[in-house]
Amino acid sequence: MLSLALVGTASALLAAPAAASILGPTAGHSPNADDIRTAYWVAIVIAALLIVAVHVFLIAALVRFRARRGRSPRPFTAGARAFVRPAAPLVAIAVGLFVFGIVMMTKAREVQATGSEGLGADSDLVAQVNGLSIPPESKALNINVIGQRWLWRFEYPGGRPGDRIFSYGELVVPVDTTVLLHLTSTDVTHRWFIPALGGQVDALPGQDVGTWFRADEVGTYHGQSTSFSGSAFAAMRAWVRVVTPQAYQQFIDRKREQLSAAQDYVAKKLGEGTAPGATP
Amino acid sequence: MTPPTAVGSARPEVVTETVPRRRQAWIERATSADHKSVGMLYIAAALTFGVAALTALVVMRVQLIVPENTTMDPEIFNRIMSTFAVTGVVLFAIPLALGLISYISPLQVGARGVAFPRLNLLSFWLYVAGGFTIYGSYLWRPSEAGFGALPALSEPLYSNTHGVDAWLVGTALAVLGFVCFAVNMVATLRTMRAPGMVWRRVPLFTWAANLGSYLLLVCGPVMLAALVMLFVDRHYGGVFFDPGYDGAPLLYEHLAWFFFTGVFSFIVIIAAGVISDVLPAFARKPLFSHRGAMACLLAIAILGPLAWMRNMYTAPIPTAFLVFAMLCAIALTVPIGLLIFNWIATVWGGTLRARSAPLYAIAAISVMTIGLAGDLAWSLIPVGWQIEHTTAAQGATMAVIMGAAVLGGFAALHHWMPKITGRLMGEGLGKITLVPILLGLYVFELMAFFAGVKGQPVDIYKFFSGEGLDGYNLVASIAVFVMAAGILVELGNAAYSYRHGVPSGHDPWEAGTLEWFATSPPPIHNFDVVPDVRSSEPLYDIRRAIRDRTHAWRPPARAPAPQPPAPEPERVGGESGGAQGGAPVA
Repeated sequence: MLSLALVGTASALLAAPAAASILGPTAGHSPNADDIRTAYWVAIVIAALLIVAVHVFLIAALVRFRARRGRSPRPFTAGARAFVRPAAPLVAIAVGLFVFGIVMMTKAREVQATGSEGLGADSDLVAQVNGLSIPPESKALNINVIGQRWLWRFEYPGGRPGDRIFSYGELVVPVDTTVLLHLTSTDVTHRWFIPALGGQVDALPGQDVGTWFRADEVGTYHGQSTSFSGSAFAAMRAWVRVVTPQAYQQFIDRKREQLSAAQDYVAKKLGEGTAPGATP
Repeated sequence: MTPPTAVGSARPEVVTETVPRRRQAWIERATSADHKSVGMLYIAAALTFGVAALTALVVMRVQLIVPENTTMDPEIFNRIMSTFAVTGVVLFAIPLALGLISYISPLQVGARGVAFPRLNLLSFWLYVAGGFTIYGSYLWRPSEAGFGALPALSEPLYSNTHGVDAWLVGTALAVLGFVCFAVNMVATLRTMRAPGMVWRRVPLFTWAANLGSYLLLVCGPVMLAALVMLFVDRHYGGVFFDPGYDGAPLLYEHLAWFFFTGVFSFIVIIAAGVISDVLPAFARKPLFSHRGAMACLLAIAILGPLAWMRNMYTAPIPTAFLVFAMLCAIALTVPIGLLIFNWIATVWGGTLRARSAPLYAIAAISVMTIGLAGDLAWSLIPVGWQIEHTTAAQGATMAVIMGAAVLGGFAALHHWMPKITGRLMGEGLGKITLVPILLGLYVFELMAFFAGVKGQPVDIYKFFSGEGLDGYNLVASIAVFVMAAGILVELGNAAYSYRHGVPSGHDPWEAGTLEWFATSPPPIHNFDVVPDVRSSEPLYDIRRAIRDRTHAWRPPARAPAPQPPAPEPERVGGESGGAQGGAPVA
């Protein structure tokens, strides 16, 4: 049995790189996503070993102890004492998984500070967000993520007071920068999930739920809401475009200009009394 | 088994003025409060709704067979999806278990009926009324609010059709029926066991029925409360779950998940009971540890529903509660693992007759093990953040429910069909159909797992190409079609065998539990003689007693004296206890 397990483990290790692309989630690009992947691999390997062990014995019992001519059953029963030995490894697995789960949960929730290549952002906005431990010098970028049927609105810091810079569908963030997301919803429950950048978090109406990530590589990461929200639920997707800090600044500046221009235009039209929706 | 030697004693007589005229068969069937009749109604209705759930699953897989499919409008898909889960769990899996419980459990404990027969019948009609209410909404516009009608989506602001009302009322009626059933079964099993049938000797299936009834008794009212609160929200100005007025949508999720997790445990426990009764009968060997299995089932019944928050890891819940849920979910490993060990040790050293019933039971163990191991993996909180609400989690849940309710259900039907009808289910066909069902389930689970770890959410009406999900969904759909075909053929097998199966005799399996002491099918009062129970396998004792007396018996040398012999009723399994006289043998 032991040798079988060893052979299984060895072959699994050899086939790991190939299997990882099928059996595992897409590669993580944030410290918390990496922690989640570590926990995933440990849990899934233990689950697989349990499945294999049960099936080995089940098939062995099925093959060896079929009814045949001239064989009579060997009736034996046992009391509770017989369960001590099989219970021991099960208890060990359970305790181990439980402790490991707590450790990895705590680790994934520890917000790490912005790296050297990142954007030193304002951290004065940081409030204590549920469950997350946020170091004071994290220099985190605070972004509001607002779920509404069936798209995401992102509000960036900066911009005129009471008038935040926003985008829909695609979130643009600087690389190597700690990003704190403040999730909420304007209608029903949604769920934020970008697999490469961490786990799922509910966006509930009337609540501020926090999560974080720190993307380690420039690129676009994709995900979609996993909380059923009505007809076009399947189309409620989100993209996170990770760019260099300079590109992020340009993006924010451009957005600010566009916003100002649009508001100036509206103000002008309102003054003329021909703004769309304005009563002449 | 009327005593043939009761010549000298006074015979019991029933005096009646008139014999009530027998009504039409369907009226008798619909109004009979006999627990066996109610059980058959439950099984028939559950299998019918099972076909509906299977159809819904196939239709949904047709829509998801290729990326960005436009076969179906999203609204249509959402309607089918919203009724699918409640059909599969509340209208199929639970009632199938309840039907078997209602039929078999009173027989297994040597009872002549149930404590509240009319409550039992009422529970069935409440359940059917619930099912018709949910499906009746298809005439108008069914719910589009998802599998559990979670607020805020099910609040009138976002679902202002009466479909959600039909869903709420139908589910509530069915759950109310289950609570009535549980009241009856708890009372029956507490008070109406045969003399000597103490708890430690109760067969595992009936022990599971007892625990399952308590589970329904605890979890059912919680769901009823949630449904009533949501109904108040929708129609009487309540704001329980309305976030616009500081209501708490999370509260409904807590209540609903408590119910659904309890039901999940219920289904697992009942299937475990079936397997624990089937395997010893066919391995010709007593269960490895009767009390050990009982303790395992008890632990599952307690820990299972307490782990309800394992489905809510992504919600803003204080960490301590999540850790508690994770503790309960992971602790389940121990009783479930020991239960499986117990099953394997039962087959080990036995002589397993490869009939359909034990093969389905072993297939059920296999599929449930896979699903439960998956559930174990994502009961770790960080893994849950990645996997919950994806098709990987759904695949594991469906593996457990399908393994328990479909494979375990067919194992139970193969095992107890001779009891219910006196006829065998088709053995060869049963073994043949096991192959597509099992293959389809394995492949579907695997594909759902692959797609889920890549992030495909559940409940979507379409997926997009270019995300590496196309192949998985295509194969998953084909697997579901294969499985559905197998299930339909096997259901046809059951339907055909009900009237045309091979006659089996009263006791085809030589199992050790008391339901086989009655004739097949049993008479309305179940037992002419209530036996005195001395072990957890009373029928082995009875058979041994018969064998000893018949083998030891020699024809007398001379003709007996002309006067009638003094009737000395020999009691089966020992003296005293039974309200009636013993069953004379020899």
